[in-house]
Amino acid sequence: MAAPRSSTAAGTQFLDPAVLGRIANLELLARTVVDGFLTGLHRSPYLGFSMDFAEHRPYMPGDDIRRIDWRLFARTDRHYIKLFEADTNANFSVLLDLSASMSYGSHSLAKIDYARYLAACLIYFSNKQRDRVGLVTFDHEIVDYVPPSMKHLDTILHRLDQAEAGRPGTLAGPLLKITEMLGRKGILVVVSDFYEEPDAVLSAIAPLRARGHDVIVFHVMDPYELDFPFEEASGFEDLETGEQIPVIPGKLKGDYMALMKTHLDTLQQRFTENQIDYTLLNTAEPLDMALFQYLLARERMSKAR
Amino acid sequence: MSLAFLVPLFLLGIAGIVVPIVVHLTRRQRRNVVHFPSLMFLQKIPYQEQRRRRIQHWFLLSLRALALILVAAAFARPFFDRSSLGALGSGGPREVVVLVDQSYSMAIGDQMERARQEAERIFRGLGPLDRASLVGFSRGADVAARSTSDLTRLRGAVDTLQVSSAATRFGPALKVAQTILEESTLPSGEVYLLTDFQRNGWTGDEGVRLPPGSRVIPVPLGAATAIDNVMVTDVSLPRQMVAGRERVTPTARVVRRGGDEPREVVVTLELDGQELQSQTASLLPNSATAVTFQPITLSRPHTRGTVRIPDDDLTTDNTHHFVLSPGNALPVLIVEAAQAPSDVSLYLRGALGISDDGRFEVRTRRSSTIRPVDLEGVGAVFLNNVLVDGGSAERLRSFVENGGGVFVALGQGAGWPASAADLLPGTIGQMEDRLQGRGGRLGFLDYEHPVFEVFAGPRSGDFTGARFYRAWRMQPADSAGILARYDDGSVALAELRHGRGRVLVWTSSLDAFWNDLALQPVFLPFVHRLAEYLGGRAEAVPWFVTGQVVDLADPDALETAGLVSSEAAGLAEGLDQVAVLPSGGTISLPAGEGPRYLPLDEHGFYTVRRPGTDPDRPFVMAVNADLEESDLGRIDPEELVLQIEASAAPSDGTPALGDAMELRREDQERRQSFWRWLLVVALGLFVLETVVSNWLSRKRGGAAGGVAG
Repeated sequence: MAAPRSSTAAGTQFLDPAVLGRIANLELLARTVVDGFLTGLHRSPYLGFSMDFAEHRPYMPGDDIRRIDWRLFARTDRHYIKLFEADTNANFSVLLDLSASMSYGSHSLAKIDYARYLAACLIYFSNKQRDRVGLVTFDHEIVDYVPPSMKHLDTILHRLDQAEAGRPGTLAGPLLKITEMLGRKGILVVVSDFYEEPDAVLSAIAPLRARGHDVIVFHVMDPYELDFPFEEASGFEDLETGEQIPVIPGKLKGDYMALMKTHLDTLQQRFTENQIDYTLLNTAEPLDMALFQYLLARERMSKAR
Repeated sequence: MSLAFLVPLFLLGIAGIVVPIVVHLTRRQRRNVVHFPSLMFLQKIPYQEQRRRRIQHWFLLSLRALALILVAAAFARPFFDRSSLGALGSGGPREVVVLVDQSYSMAIGDQMERARQEAERIFRGLGPLDRASLVGFSRGADVAARSTSDLTRLRGAVDTLQVSSAATRFGPALKVAQTILEESTLPSGEVYLLTDFQRNGWTGDEGVRLPPGSRVIPVPLGAATAIDNVMVTDVSLPRQMVAGRERVTPTARVVRRGGDEPREVVVTLELDGQELQSQTASLLPNSATAVTFQPITLSRPHTRGTVRIPDDDLTTDNTHHFVLSPGNALPVLIVEAAQAPSDVSLYLRGALGISDDGRFEVRTRRSSTIRPVDLEGVGAVFLNNVLVDGGSAERLRSFVENGGGVFVALGQGAGWPASAADLLPGTIGQMEDRLQGRGGRLGFLDYEHPVFEVFAGPRSGDFTGARFYRAWRMQPADSAGILARYDDGSVALAELRHGRGRVLVWTSSLDAFWNDLALQPVFLPFVHRLAEYLGGRAEAVPWFVTGQVVDLADPDALETAGLVSSEAAGLAEGLDQVAVLPSGGTISLPAGEGPRYLPLDEHGFYTVRRPGTDPDRPFVMAVNADLEESDLGRIDPEELVLQIEASAAPSDGTPALGDAMELRREDQERRQSFWRWLLVVALGLFVLETVVSNWLSRKRGGAAGGVAG
């Protein structure tokens, strides 16, 4: 089912010039919005020292006394610390699901391949704008972890090239560990097919958001999963559990489609409620559409902050 | 007669018919497995598995079961056991094959009549269930009656047996018997061999494999006493030109085999049926002598000649036939330049003029212009150092395309028009001198070419002695053949074919100035071979031997048979022909696209003409008997039988009765070979099953339910 791997050097297959060409145009658009500062393309969720004032907070013992706003002290006779917003490079990490269900593909491109291409493009693009890029792959446990760094692009692309989906997967366990591992706040992109109940999915991802990360979720689905175009009565085998059940698609298609729609709608709703950007991706559609959605989401984040 | 199986154990395979049923009942729903990412949603849908323990398509199931039964039955090797019928007769029904020798040695005494009587006696002894065949043989074998129990038909076939002019060959006859026995369904076979058992008829490795259970019964028919046989084995016919007339001096070789005392034999020469000369030869026992007749003058074509000695026990080899026609001198035209010295063709003309039989008629034209009248009737043209003009070249082109040959000897004044450059086998370049040392030599000769093939043997002509001091360079064309090269690799003699003729170019001269080839002994035969090759002359064969075949649609074959080329071309044209055999019968050879083969099976004279014509001197071919048959040495019949049966009998000796019965069962099964048909039918059923099941599958489409069976 999986798409054949090319024999080219690690990572190069992801950097499709045509795709990156489209992304480069969007980057120019974003630069115009933020006065052409590369580092300002993404506003850091961190609050630090810069010329942009953010807020005041009461002085706490141990704070640097140089940060006390003396003018406010003169007016209020209380000590306040002046906080500024810092435009720093962000930590950008991709959390890639390698569960066996991701190996499914009804056409030349399996979901895992589509997800790897997406991850590679996002990481490359982020690295190009001087974000620190990282990668976490997981199934029912953490498979691979590359901490965010400006210098890890090649390593990440190589790991992505080696990544294969084949084992059963869950979200809760690995994402909990990731939450603990990623100390510094950053942008997290979760790429998965989310074959779990929406509540379970949210309970696994919500802690990341609670830690202050900006979380973007890409839900990768094959067109056959979305449309269920099967006709022949067959035995359907679960890629993760190996379980088989006899299926007569003509009879089950309606129920399946209804359940799938409910699942997708619920996920959309629950992610939105938790301020998590959610994008459903069909592997039959062009990859650059997903990147475009991502940039829009980032731009929205930047404006909202 | 009952149905039996050679390997009944394979019938257990019929139990395999339960396989498709079990597969259907247990695995049918899972024959297509679809890998799906997750059954999370599918498992939530209420689903009730259909009860599919019911066979829906009995027809398909029947097809599969029947095909499996047929396959199992085929492996069990079924056959109809006819051995029980054997109890009706004394030793079971027999397949009897009677082989009767028809070679001309059977004409000795009453051997042929005895053979007929023996055959009839064998046929009279046939049982009610026996079948018999009659095969006459000599060089080949003809089935006169095949596997029949009709005595009337068999006796009629016996009456048709005649002595032929061919030699004895046991192999073909035994192979025919082998085929008849293999095709027979009777349990035992007998081969009766009625012959005089000449040793020359058996080489010992004829590849005969009689089926097991069959036996060979020899019936010797040869004379009890040794035969004193005298024969004419050969006639040589050297020709000589005397006072402008062609004379032939026939010399016959007479051989005597056997005998005890010296014997006088009168040897007679006949021409066109008229006795011409007689001579008496004295022959000791087992000796040979040559009898030379007075020269005879040949004046008429297709003269039939026969050397005859008095009849003895074996008469066929007492005559030797041949056909003679006056030699046709090949007209050769030598063309010289008008201003050339008178002796420019001295050596060429001299070489062509020297022959015992006057085979060349040499004409000379001293002019660079060749007129059409110059080429009339000419077979070969030698252009000796001539500057050819364009008109002459075009006339030569037409001459060559119609079968003529042109030899171009280049010299100091030679030239060729550019408009006809394609007529030459290459492009003439610069003149080059070879004055270093002792000049150049011929370094390569194509000894497979007809011009040089007579020089291929040792001491058959030495070209290396000739020195070449000057020659023209030639760049050969792609389609040209190189017949000779100088020792520096440059072309000496090249050939190009045009239409039915050919053009040869000699890049040096034919005089003694540019080379000294004309002074070498090999020059004369070389020029003769050149002229004969250019003129397309073929050596005529004065006689053929029985068993040979002539293609009367092939002009070359007819020319070899004694016709001159124009007559051969005329006779070989797409017109009907009729051949009159020595026995008086005729063979019609209708016109057609392909070859028209005339088998020469009788000894004597074959006359070939067009239907409805009666030419004064028809085309005649002489055919003599194969003299191998004249060697009456015999092989022991028992030895021959042992050699034949050795390949068929088991290696460990005579089989026991049980083994013999098994052999018979295997033999019956092999002859009937029902298993092949069973497999073919089974294959057809499998194909039908595939087609039907695919059709049902498509019909069902994506709907629920599967194919039953």
